[in-house]
Amino acid sequence: MRWQKGIGAICLILAWSSFGHIARADDQPARGRLSGIAPQFIGQSCIATVVMEINKEDWQRKIKMQFWALGGTKFLIRILEPQEDAGTAILKVDNTTWYYLPKAKRTVEMLPSMMLSSWMGSHFTLSDLVSESTLTDDYATATSFEGDRNGVAVSEYTLTPKSDAAVVWGKIILEIRQADQMPVWQRFYDEDGKLVRELSFSDYKTVSGKLIPTHLVMKPLDQAPEQTSITFENIVFDSPIAEDIFALKNLKQ
Amino acid sequence: MIGSLLRLAWRNLWWNPRRTLIAMSAIGFGYAMLLFVACLMAGLRQQMIETGTDLVLSEIQVHAPHYDPDHPISLTLGGRNGTDVNAAMAAIAADPRVQAASPRVYGYGLVSGTHQSAGAQLVGVVPDREQTITLLQTRMVKGGYLSAATPKGVVIGDQLATTIGVQVGSEIVVLTPAADGSTGNDLYTVTGLFHTGLDEMDGGLVFMPLATLQELLRLPPERIHEIGIKLHDISDAAATAAALQIQLGKFFPVRARPWQVLAPELADYVQFNRRVTFILFFIFFALAAMGIVNTMLMAIIERTREFGMLMAVGMRPFQVVGLIVAEAAGLAAASLILGAAVGVPILWYLQVHGLDLGHDGGTVSVAGVVVGPYWYGQQDFASYAEAALGLAITALVAALYPAMRAARFRPAEAMRKV
Repeated sequence: MRWQKGIGAICLILAWSSFGHIARADDQPARGRLSGIAPQFIGQSCIATVVMEINKEDWQRKIKMQFWALGGTKFLIRILEPQEDAGTAILKVDNTTWYYLPKAKRTVEMLPSMMLSSWMGSHFTLSDLVSESTLTDDYATATSFEGDRNGVAVSEYTLTPKSDAAVVWGKIILEIRQADQMPVWQRFYDEDGKLVRELSFSDYKTVSGKLIPTHLVMKPLDQAPEQTSITFENIVFDSPIAEDIFALKNLKQ
Repeated sequence: MIGSLLRLAWRNLWWNPRRTLIAMSAIGFGYAMLLFVACLMAGLRQQMIETGTDLVLSEIQVHAPHYDPDHPISLTLGGRNGTDVNAAMAAIAADPRVQAASPRVYGYGLVSGTHQSAGAQLVGVVPDREQTITLLQTRMVKGGYLSAATPKGVVIGDQLATTIGVQVGSEIVVLTPAADGSTGNDLYTVTGLFHTGLDEMDGGLVFMPLATLQELLRLPPERIHEIGIKLHDISDAAATAAALQIQLGKFFPVRARPWQVLAPELADYVQFNRRVTFILFFIFFALAAMGIVNTMLMAIIERTREFGMLMAVGMRPFQVVGLIVAEAAGLAAASLILGAAVGVPILWYLQVHGLDLGHDGGTVSVAGVVVGPYWYGQQDFASYAEAALGLAITALVAALYPAMRAARFRPAEAMRKV
């Protein structure tokens, strides 16, 4: 479906794309209900300033970056702060990812395995930030709750992996607000049914005519009290982006 | 009495010299074979332990308690504050069994050459010290080993060099998550390539000076992951590790482990090798026992009249048993001497020249350790003595059955036998 590409383009947050995927899921009522959500996130392009705050047991860091996405296949991240990482750029075109290292003044191609390990020490992987989610094909969806929670009408959906899917999660449960179809939280369970991490959404704002959550917090629940938050500043959808911004030779700037 | 018995026994052995010589050469050759096998097996064990530990592992490693190579780089000795590395090294060197020790830092990163990238383990070592505990510097195929004079110089495996398309003199980029969450990255120059014959080393290790890797990982100088230790005698590894664990425990929480724990597959193989050697011994003992039973049985049947006569003139049954056992003992002793005479030149050859496993650098990899291109023997005197003792006991035990039979002869009947 066409809109899916669009979702990829803004899936700085894996969660967003997963809602889109529910729209084509197995549970017919859930699918019908959710089908209205996906188009909300359609965007051919996205430009955003993003602040990532990482709180680890040993250290805290704040990373400010500029993010460009086009058509769900091209992504560019430039790190603005802190000083020691400023100038680092990450370019992903289709399935290949490059890292530009300002200190070495070199461009390095990433290995697929590194896409799936912690990025900059955060609780997100690079793949979380610049990939289209594959929840689409891998999970079956069922409505597990509908009604009021904390005075807000919400729907809760449970995603379970299809039998032949090679996925890391044993189960994903997510909650959305019925009124505006905004995500509230998404919880990830391991194969033993243990809650492993929780992604929560807040600060819903209308940007370029779309309502989106602009603050996300990822908390691992199986280890020390750590978390990574992502805050969107200056997000713009569907403004024209020159294609050559995604050219490898323009990576160093 | 015993002396005359032995003299009689020795004379009896040469009553039929051909049979005795055949039995002697069978047992003696068998003993020579045992020496050969024991020597080669000991050589294999030795070479495996040495290459397994001396190439990169070292004989004892000291870590923070929960450290393992997959753990985050924050798990340094002495925790997040690190430790006084020199004081820790001095404490280790104070143990008289320790020959040398060297600090190390580890990381994991992306290594990129001209076009290709590959993941590799980054190992930071102090070049001068590291060469006193491991032998990687002897496996350089191009360029040279690390040097304090070239802080940005790294050495990598020849396979990794091929994978990422670099040579000696090329620049490589290393990208790694640093201890403070930033992305450490820098340019280095390849100063040397090593070849160990082990894919995981030749294709996945990057060595660089300790301080250089600490800078890349943003670790201060007092933070290291490991101290590798070489002993005067590797057989002290377990005891020394236990002692160091207590000694260093006074400074910081620590875990000191000998190579048997660090490389269990190597320790398993050494056990296995010993068992195989032992099983071969037993097979040979069984064969030798049959040879001796056969020889002695034939001897007493041939000499039934003689035994009847001896008993008729007053030899007691236990003396008959003694005579036959003494003959067997003499046979075994003569066989061992013959076997040793044949075996010693073989042992000497194995130790000095070794078996050639192939001229063009042919190697054999056993339990993840490379052996070759020459398979050298190692003198294992304990095994040689065990084999000799085992053989002697076998001979005596094997002679008992024929001896008992002879002891039960009735003189009158025996003398009438043809």
